[in-house]
Amino acid sequence: MSLVDLMSMAKPNEELRKKILQKLHEELAYCFQCAKCTSGCTAFKLLELVPHEIMRLTKLGFIEELITSEIIWTCATCLKCVERCPQNVSPYHVIIALRNIAVKQEAKIPEAYLKAVSQILETGLAQTIEKVTTKKMESLDRQKLHLPEIKHPTETFRTTFLKILEGHEL
Amino acid sequence: MPNIGVYVCHCGLNIAGTVDVERVVEYAKNLPDVIVAKHYKYICSEPGQRMIQEDIQAYGLERVVIAACSPRMHEETFRKTVAEAGLNPYLLEVVNLREHCSWAHSDQPEKATEKAKELVRMGVARARLLEPLEKRVISVEKKVLVVGGGIAGIEASLDLANAGFKVYLVEKAPSIGGRMAQLDKTFPTLDCSACILTPKMVDVAKHPNIKLLTNAEVTNVSGFVGNYEVTVLKKPRYVDEDKCVGCGLCTEVCPVEIPDKFNEGLSQTHAISIYSPHAVPKVAIINPEHCLRLKYGKEVCGKCLKTCEAKAINFEQQPENIQLKVGAIILAVGADVFDAAKIPELGYGRFKNVISNIQFERISDASGPTGGKILCPETGKPPRSIVFIQCVGSRDKRFHEYCCRVGCMISLKQAILAREKLGGDVEIYICYNDIRAFGKGYEEFYRRARDLNINFLAGIPSEIRSAPDGSLCVTVYEKVVNKLLEIHADLVVLSCGIVPGKDFNKISETFHVSRSSDGFLLEAHPKLRPLETSTAGIFLAGACQGPKDIPDSVAHASGAAAKVIELLSKGEFEIEPLKAIVNPDFCSGCGICESICPFDAIEMKAETVNGEKLVAEVIEVKCQGCGTCASACPTHAIKMQHYTNEQILAQVHAALIAKQEMVK
Amino acid sequence: MKLPVFWGCRILTSQYAYEMSIRQVLPRLGVELVDLREMHCCGDYIKSINMFAATYMAARILALANETSIKNLLVPCSRCHFALSETQHILEENRNLKDKVDALLKKEKLNYSSDIKIWHIIDFIHDVIGVECIRQKVKRSLKGLKFASHVGCQTIRPSSIKRVDNPETPRKLDELIKALGAESLEYPEKLDCCGAALMSSHQEAALTLAGSKLKALQELGVDGLIDSCPACHTIFDTKQESAATTIGGKLAMPVLYYTQLLGIAMQINVEKLGLHLNQSPVEKILEISSS
Repeated sequence: MSLVDLMSMAKPNEELRKKILQKLHEELAYCFQCAKCTSGCTAFKLLELVPHEIMRLTKLGFIEELITSEIIWTCATCLKCVERCPQNVSPYHVIIALRNIAVKQEAKIPEAYLKAVSQILETGLAQTIEKVTTKKMESLDRQKLHLPEIKHPTETFRTTFLKILEGHEL
Repeated sequence: MPNIGVYVCHCGLNIAGTVDVERVVEYAKNLPDVIVAKHYKYICSEPGQRMIQEDIQAYGLERVVIAACSPRMHEETFRKTVAEAGLNPYLLEVVNLREHCSWAHSDQPEKATEKAKELVRMGVARARLLEPLEKRVISVEKKVLVVGGGIAGIEASLDLANAGFKVYLVEKAPSIGGRMAQLDKTFPTLDCSACILTPKMVDVAKHPNIKLLTNAEVTNVSGFVGNYEVTVLKKPRYVDEDKCVGCGLCTEVCPVEIPDKFNEGLSQTHAISIYSPHAVPKVAIINPEHCLRLKYGKEVCGKCLKTCEAKAINFEQQPENIQLKVGAIILAVGADVFDAAKIPELGYGRFKNVISNIQFERISDASGPTGGKILCPETGKPPRSIVFIQCVGSRDKRFHEYCCRVGCMISLKQAILAREKLGGDVEIYICYNDIRAFGKGYEEFYRRARDLNINFLAGIPSEIRSAPDGSLCVTVYEKVVNKLLEIHADLVVLSCGIVPGKDFNKISETFHVSRSSDGFLLEAHPKLRPLETSTAGIFLAGACQGPKDIPDSVAHASGAAAKVIELLSKGEFEIEPLKAIVNPDFCSGCGICESICPFDAIEMKAETVNGEKLVAEVIEVKCQGCGTCASACPTHAIKMQHYTNEQILAQVHAALIAKQEMVK
Repeated sequence: MKLPVFWGCRILTSQYAYEMSIRQVLPRLGVELVDLREMHCCGDYIKSINMFAATYMAARILALANETSIKNLLVPCSRCHFALSETQHILEENRNLKDKVDALLKKEKLNYSSDIKIWHIIDFIHDVIGVECIRQKVKRSLKGLKFASHVGCQTIRPSSIKRVDNPETPRKLDELIKALGAESLEYPEKLDCCGAALMSSHQEAALTLAGSKLKALQELGVDGLIDSCPACHTIFDTKQESAATTIGGKLAMPVLYYTQLLGIAMQINVEKLGLHLNQSPVEKILEISSS
């Protein structure tokens, strides 16, 4: 592309742009910038997430600045933007795709997600089993509450999951 | 065997760029019965046509094959060409070397040329068997039915009536005037809508050539272009139109209150009332679903009956079925306004101060529910802040993808009127996607709005909430200054789009007109034939064909009237002879053809006096030449003129043989 | 009837009260819960890392459900419900993707089937059991109590795939609350997100979202917030104190799972319903309802 951002001198990433448009054509191409998504965005007021801006930046190919930014991790995944968009595009899906690219490109991502991955590899579940403390200061767990034991997945799940994370294309 | 001339067109480079036209001509020369074969750059041009005409004379041609663009383009033209040279126009065969050959195979010129040769061979095979046919002339009724009494219907009716045609104007509401009668002022001139409309409405009522049928609907249409038979159901008003003087006393005494439809539910009217402030005809009407006497029996209520001095009330009035014979029909049935309740998050229906643009018009209108004062429906007080939201239900894939064309101009107008009526202190905001001010004087109107301190916010709100103080909370991201703005509005006006009428399905069925994918009535060609439908004799006027403002509706309607005049002015009409024809000797009277004809164009007639033997007869004027009957006939008694079995099979044979010699 | 159930990470590792109350209430409504052979994450957390991995995980759960031969699956968590429903939809539309996922599952001797009907607690109880049946099961009416319902965002959106209720005017949970004799309020913040998805990466923002909604409800004077998702419940109930601190106010809003409320109305033992595990002041509800 013969386009350059004069403030940062950044050029669009043509390869990533084509890739994203190919995968998410329906969710991205038709945005006409009405900004309704941002008007109703759960994460705007507190975290300054501007979904319609992310849509336009992505479509133009300014993807590097997005994946190295914290902003794509501020989406609350409430799906209001998907529901109300008059052109049936989906900022949510585009943000998830940008997150996937950030991971692939080894950009900085919130630790909580990496923790979830390692936990799944260990037990199959994304969180550690917790004891709960009641107001009477009793400490209870599944056993004490007479809840059935958790049946962990077979080894094949773990190996397949790992294989996908390590190699499979987006 | 007839002398055949073959003409291959270059069509500039459209055909010649892919197909080797010279080789096709050489090939054609060797086909049996072809005595002349030529190629030319543009056969449709004057010299091209003249060449063919001269050859017809010089060579005594009895059949002409023109291998060029699609027959849909120039078959009519070329038929006239050969007719002028003295050859029957149906002895012409047009072979499509463009859409069916050069355009489809532009990357394979060698194969395209071979295919072109085969197509010409097929064309020649058919041409050999073509028969001369004559157009038929039928007489037409010089009367017109106009369905819908809005500005488009009114304009078309007046144009036709002034041109000397008798017009039946059928309107389903109790008064004509349509949507324009509901408007306060019109953009961009801010003319008072009623002031420019009512004179026309009165002209319609008074015109000797116009018969006005209000509170009426068309229930059946049969016949064919020039000769339509229409049934109109005139529903009872329960008031005698000739006696009622429109004094309105009956309304004052009626005990039953019902929502006022003309005022879009913003006020109440009564079970007996006059439909609208400037109604034409100015005659009361009783709503049978709410009138106590009509619902519960003869002894109930009857206050209006006692009050009416003109003795115009008649509870015994019956519906009337009126049969009309007309030559053409103009559909001017208008359109509806988007129901914003379909977008619950905007609060329409939940919050009384969220209103639609048509409701704002009624509020602003001096003859409306508030006497023309801008007041909030919930409190009855003037608003201190008003927010307009554009594109409600339009440019929205979930509802209507198209742009409603008038939403921007309506909101600009309403914002300007609000400023003029409420003064400088009121805050006025317009939340928009784009401001579309495309027409004559429209951009200047937009500038006028900006001059009046009207705030334009580039962004669309996601939802509307109620604030604890009773105001409406509108949150919108303004994308030019990049700020999330919260507005506490007293009044929110939703710019609801123009949408296809709820009864368009019925209209579509009754009049045999199609609908386009956006739901409006389908024109014959979007660019070149916006006034006709694909049903001959039925025309479109106004917003029913697509959203329009008043100038466009008027122009469209006058155009439709002109089309009707073109059709009916001569008093007669030529029809194409491409019809089915029954050979009575082969007809077994089984009636299969009659039952499957999609156009009701076949009748079983009794051949013998006692009605024993039935014979199928094709009603030529209704027949569309589809061929369904011919293929279903078990005894092969039906022949399709100009598309006979022999002609088609000859083409098939010609397509399949590998050798160049024709097998007889 | 037998009903397979997929609990998901949050319920299995910390939101025990939800599982307890469901296990108490459903059998009394004629439902026998069937656990799947294995339990693992539905892929919700993994979507942001690798969509294909997340799709595989969700498809694997559906394949495990398929092993029961029962074509219904109860999914009480709104995140899991969306993950599974969206995966079902994607695999329906994208043949290529489905083939890839099928191939992986077949290696594990698992078979994905597209005809599993995915249920949430709300629509299962409302549509299958029925509001009338619930009304009849009420032994202790909750008349006089006024509640606000909170339906998890991912339960009702996006409406382009089959969801549990209407996205802009969800009513099912309200009707289920009314069936117990109580009132269920319409309030402006009804569709506001709880913020739970941001808890792990942007805690302050998450707690502000939850806290603001709770504060608004407190000002409206409701007796409690009724939710139906372990993610929402964690932030509204377990973290209510933290939310109060974050927004700088006092919060004392009882927050209960619908199945807990239903259990109260059915006069099931409160400890069996896990009510002692709620961190918010649910005693208030118990006091009022037993008076």
